[in-house]
Amino acid sequence: MPTLKKVAAILNPPAPHMVGDGFRVHNFFPSGHKIKMDPFYLLDYNAKIEFSPTNKLRGVGVHPHRGFETVTIAYHGAVAHHDSAGNSGVIYPGDVQWMTAASGILHKEYHEEEFSKKGGLFQMVQLWVNLPAKDKMSTPKYQALPNEGMSKYNLPNGNGVVEIIAGEYNGTKGSASTFTPIELYNLKLQAGAKVSLNTPANYNTAMIVIEGAIIVNGTEKASVNQMVHFAHEGTDIAIEASENSVVLFLSGEPINEPIAQYGPFLMNKPEELQQAIEDYNTGKFGYLEE
Amino acid sequence: MLEKFQAYLKERLSITDEQAQEATSCLKSKSFKKGTILLSPGDLRSENYFINDGLLRYFSIDEKGKEHILQFAPENWMISDRNSSVFNEPSVFFIDAIENTEVLIVPNHFFADIQKLLPHILELNILMLHNSIRFMQKRINMLLSATAEERYLDFIKLYPNLTLRVPQWMIASYLGITPESLSRVRKDLAKKHFK
Repeated sequence: MPTLKKVAAILNPPAPHMVGDGFRVHNFFPSGHKIKMDPFYLLDYNAKIEFSPTNKLRGVGVHPHRGFETVTIAYHGAVAHHDSAGNSGVIYPGDVQWMTAASGILHKEYHEEEFSKKGGLFQMVQLWVNLPAKDKMSTPKYQALPNEGMSKYNLPNGNGVVEIIAGEYNGTKGSASTFTPIELYNLKLQAGAKVSLNTPANYNTAMIVIEGAIIVNGTEKASVNQMVHFAHEGTDIAIEASENSVVLFLSGEPINEPIAQYGPFLMNKPEELQQAIEDYNTGKFGYLEE
Repeated sequence: MLEKFQAYLKERLSITDEQAQEATSCLKSKSFKKGTILLSPGDLRSENYFINDGLLRYFSIDEKGKEHILQFAPENWMISDRNSSVFNEPSVFFIDAIENTEVLIVPNHFFADIQKLLPHILELNILMLHNSIRFMQKRINMLLSATAEERYLDFIKLYPNLTLRVPQWMIASYLGITPESLSRVRKDLAKKHFK
């Protein structure tokens, strides 16, 4: 019989830090809160802030990644991306970029030029999704998931929409292909909307309240910028929007493999990190102009 | 706080844990925020820094305002300004923290002070000094005779992870080449090795 998935904790955003000069992020995990979220290794949340107009492009210069995927989810502002595999694009509010670094890629991320000149509100999430050992050295790939093409499930009675980035919600399949089972949705809810979700008990599961305020499982209140972390107990989640709200829901089957991490590399063994550093230094990740 | 320096001594001298602990018990650590200047021209210092965590940079600034990096000091490196620490003359260099850094302050007299406890410490100090001279000889030779690519390949052997920790222009400054030249080297290596 389905049971409610128990809330483990309502977590506040940890103190922010700058990534380059373009992203002011709260790291919910692994540094900020010591919570088990495998297959998600890292979540940086740029809470909504206002950037002043500038002619200089703020962001992060060329850097490598190996062994995982970066998923960038935009709510406000615009980010331009370029990588050494020749992919480039701009992520606008509602868009998602799913980059599989796998065997190695160089990329850079800057505020998009027009947005930089005008300035304005900026709000994003960047997730690192781990890859199983067998896929860590697979060929890099890139999935641009613009909002207009995103899988959507309209809630009854005009209560809002569930945008299914990955996984499946009420029979609607998500837009992104993933290496391991992952559920990733943006729930855009009208005040008073009630939604139920279900996800296997053993999955690591959390939600971030991007806008508004919600009540989870009838009793647990979470407000904007807070994370709801779930226990491995029960399968069903009931959400009620106390006001117009946006909620990012993430849930994934744990990969349960050893982790060795250094900077932008996420592997299984320390010697694979040494190899990644050497390969990066000697040009095996390719080249990307600053 | 003292563990890394104790391990450093134990690796180089055959001493017990107790000896390493006793020898280092008087040493103090200090933390610096990223960007802090630890030494400026004109300063006098009678101490060395052993890096527990973080990254220091030893550099000069020329009349045109250009920086020239002589040395990076990541974890487990020791750094000192000999001009002031040994000869008691004002420094002509800077040391700053490129990352938030914790150092152990090792006063010059430390080596003499613990001689009774660790009889081979002076030999080690001399060996370290020779090693440092050897490093400088190689560095001068690279600056005089090596190509930009040879300098870079030598750099990544010595400091494998610094390419992930410091901006390109600092690596170029250390190598005595322009950032454009470093970009070219990296681009050429990618052409050779990227499949």
